Amino acid sequence: MGKYIVKRMIYIVLVFFILSFLIFMIYNMLPSDKAAESARAEITANRNLKYEERYEYWQKQYGTNGTKVERYFRWLGVYPYDNGSFNGLLQGNLGTSTKFAKPVTEVLVEPMKNTIFINIFSTFLALGITIPLGIFCAVKRGSKRDVAVQVGTVVGYSLPTFIIAIVFIWLFAVILGWFPVSGMQTAGSLNWSPWRQFWDRMYHMALPLIVMTFSSLGGMTRYVRAAMIEALSMDCIRTARAKGLREKVVIYSHAWRNALLPVITLVIGWFLSIFSGSLMIENIFALNGIGKTYYDALQGNDNEVILALQMFYIALSLFGNLFIDIIYGFVDPRVRVNK
Amino acid sequence: MKKKGIIATLWRWIKRAFWGAGKEISEDDKFVVEKIESPSTMAVKAFFRRKLAVGALVVLISMFLFVFIGPYFFPMNLNYTDALQANMAPNNTLMKVPNELENNIKNINGFADFTVGVSKDNTLYLWGNTKNNLTNVDYAAFPDEIQAGNVAHAAAGSDHIIAITTDGKVVGWGNSSTGQFGVKKQESDPYTQMPDVLLNGTIDASKVKQLIAGYQATALVMEDGTMYMWGNNNAMLSLPEFTKGDKYNTDVEKVAFSNYYAIIMRKDGTVTGGQTLTFNMQKAYSNKDGEIKNLRTYMADRTVLDIAATNNCYAFIMDDGSIVVFGAAEYGEKDIPAITAEEKMVSINAGTRHFVAVGESGKVYTWGHNDGGQCDVAGKTAAEVYTGAKQTYLVNEDGELTDKAGFSGYVMGTDNRGRDILTRIVHGGKMTMTIGAVAVIVSTIIAIIIGCLSGYFGGWVDMLLMRITEIFSSLPFLPFAMMLSYVIRTMPIGETTRIFIIMIMLGLLSWTGLARMIRAQVLAEREKEFVLAAQSMGVKEKRIAFLHILPNVISVILVNVTLNFASCMLTESSLSYLGFGVQQPQPTWGNMLYGANNSIVIQNYWWQWVFPAIFLSIATISINIIGDTLRDVLDPKSSQEK
Repeated sequence: MGKYIVKRMIYIVLVFFILSFLIFMIYNMLPSDKAAESARAEITANRNLKYEERYEYWQKQYGTNGTKVERYFRWLGVYPYDNGSFNGLLQGNLGTSTKFAKPVTEVLVEPMKNTIFINIFSTFLALGITIPLGIFCAVKRGSKRDVAVQVGTVVGYSLPTFIIAIVFIWLFAVILGWFPVSGMQTAGSLNWSPWRQFWDRMYHMALPLIVMTFSSLGGMTRYVRAAMIEALSMDCIRTARAKGLREKVVIYSHAWRNALLPVITLVIGWFLSIFSGSLMIENIFALNGIGKTYYDALQGNDNEVILALQMFYIALSLFGNLFIDIIYGFVDPRVRVNK
Repeated sequence: MKKKGIIATLWRWIKRAFWGAGKEISEDDKFVVEKIESPSTMAVKAFFRRKLAVGALVVLISMFLFVFIGPYFFPMNLNYTDALQANMAPNNTLMKVPNELENNIKNINGFADFTVGVSKDNTLYLWGNTKNNLTNVDYAAFPDEIQAGNVAHAAAGSDHIIAITTDGKVVGWGNSSTGQFGVKKQESDPYTQMPDVLLNGTIDASKVKQLIAGYQATALVMEDGTMYMWGNNNAMLSLPEFTKGDKYNTDVEKVAFSNYYAIIMRKDGTVTGGQTLTFNMQKAYSNKDGEIKNLRTYMADRTVLDIAATNNCYAFIMDDGSIVVFGAAEYGEKDIPAITAEEKMVSINAGTRHFVAVGESGKVYTWGHNDGGQCDVAGKTAAEVYTGAKQTYLVNEDGELTDKAGFSGYVMGTDNRGRDILTRIVHGGKMTMTIGAVAVIVSTIIAIIIGCLSGYFGGWVDMLLMRITEIFSSLPFLPFAMMLSYVIRTMPIGETTRIFIIMIMLGLLSWTGLARMIRAQVLAEREKEFVLAAQSMGVKEKRIAFLHILPNVISVILVNVTLNFASCMLTESSLSYLGFGVQQPQPTWGNMLYGANNSIVIQNYWWQWVFPAIFLSIATISINIIGDTLRDVLDPKSSQEK
């Protein structure tokens, strides 16, 4: 097991380098030149300076001189700047946000908290609904209720998130007026007591969470149902029933354990995908999450934030894959990978 | 076993009671062997047995036809916008002249999406889009002063109506928030207030020569040449100049409003447009034949019989009966039709983008934008012509409506730039479906090649290809696509190329799942005997992989292509919705919803998001239903179990 994990780790780090190199090259296609901007700004302030000189100086400062490969390694933090220092990803430096004039790492702290909160919360909500529903449908397969749920889920996963969001805003925020249309908190709530602030936040988060949960119901229910049907058709279930075990034991102990494997893959994969999926929700509801930050950075040409977040998304999905592999080993004795 | 009615069942029971069941089956039937059907025929039959799937297929095919044939019936001008038609609700009453008015028309006047008419017995009628969805102003709620039989004149502007009662009171209603009528709320407001004479006193209604309303402005011309003009200075830019002193508001014969300027015809036949327009007239302008170089010198020793203005153009009938147009013509406002030498024009009228002129013979000439058929009355005769924004009404000497032509309304309303949503849905659907289809084709081709090679050859080929697949599948889809789109946006490439790149990009990012599935299926298939047989016959490896094994994998591919098509459409829509896919003005179902996530649009302009959302949802739902059903009928295991 340990050997396998190490092997996977090495592989994943390798893939990360390949992908980050790819992304860095794409990023370099952007027609933005920080050194030129700084030099130009200096020239406008002080006419006596020479542009070429200042440009070269800023290039050295920002590390944008040299070939693209050199710049990539500088960004990683394994190739020195002109003054011999290392300042890159490995040193915890992701660049500076032009919009906030702060290091990217600082810019991302608050949004990251929000996004993680939204995602974990909606994952639990969705799992709490879909797992029982999926098991129920699998057990009562072919019944009218199952067919109804099936049709509902097809509709559910065919609808894009933004349409669900618009319809829910229309229904719950505009017509019924239960929730605010968008935003994170009521204006002027900063003076309130922490408890009241918390509830205000929850009140604002409610509709996004409902939409997120709802939009994941369709796909997940279908997946759980399929996994459970597969498990229920196994021979061991027939044996268990033949032994005279109670139906509950058969379903929850025998079948569910077998269905768990694909479901775990799904849950982790889904959890990772909602990080990028919450991008949509955060933008629709104007929540200060990383998705919104990413979107704003793209709209406002805040290139270093874009690069950092893009790398974050990639790292997230790579380590998620690793995590899935490891969990497999723990859940399923048959896949105790030791190749 | 076919289902039969109750009567048939009863009859069968009765029959059996007397003759026994054996009699029903003839001797021949006993020995009939069930016909052998190929798996594909069985699958097709099984598919068509499912009502839901057949329904979805019908819906999808009709949608395909709608978006791929529809563009020929709903041509679209990508750059078209019209602020006066913006945010209109679904409506088809824009040209619906009330029956009571039809035979005794005194006047018809319209500027935007609603039109007023006054009958000869002094009753006011209103038709069109009579309610503003944002401000909730109801133009049909006439003020108390307006009663049947007491309205002498009326004019409709962009969001207000001004009427003059028979006893000379000037009444306004509709939106007054930008000084369209009534008293200014603050002294600093940039509005020109209604003159006191009109606000508090009365005028002689029989001496009113012309009442005209435009974009947040109104003008009133009396027989003696006095002109009153009021409204929003920022909307009608000529207002401050024309209302200052007595330079412009005496000796006036007629006023015409374009979108931003007013132009005045004096009693002596000269025309003035204030400083800005006069300046513009000095610049080189020409009619269609390029004869007139400087309009002002051309007009210096000539007089004008009649004037009219569209949104951006001004037309004059000169004293010799010819027509001169100047202004920024975008929709053919300068394409004056051929007029015979003996014909002299006597009057001219204009909608937002078309002109209608009447000759001495009573013949009607039209030119300009004909998107709603408003120019289709050319060649007919009329004594008087009235125009709405996109409508033309022909009236004879007795005040009877002889003909009308033009735009009767938007089936699905208009968006925030005044573009018809139905047209955009048709064209947007074509774009969305094309992008989805191309992306699926690209991804399927890649997946087939990689999956087949990887599954069939195994070894290091498999290893390498699967690692590549893994790398691609760990790219987070939406953020990565957004970043690519962002990078593309900064490059100097055309919109068509951009759309093409988006198609390819979606394809390149979505092939991994299918490739893995094909690989697994090929792995299973290649161990079977027929592959061994082919190998022993000396068939080439590539041929075995693509011609012998691939057909056995086709069901997996078919199902996935269908489901991928839906998901590619959704991805494109999501990207466009976020503003990173296809850009405006090119419509897709996704970017039509761009900007729909604010409460104003959601609440007040429901048609702007409901229709694109419905079309997109129905398309993806039916594709997914078809895909699911295909999976069920193509998978022998699942159909046996049921």
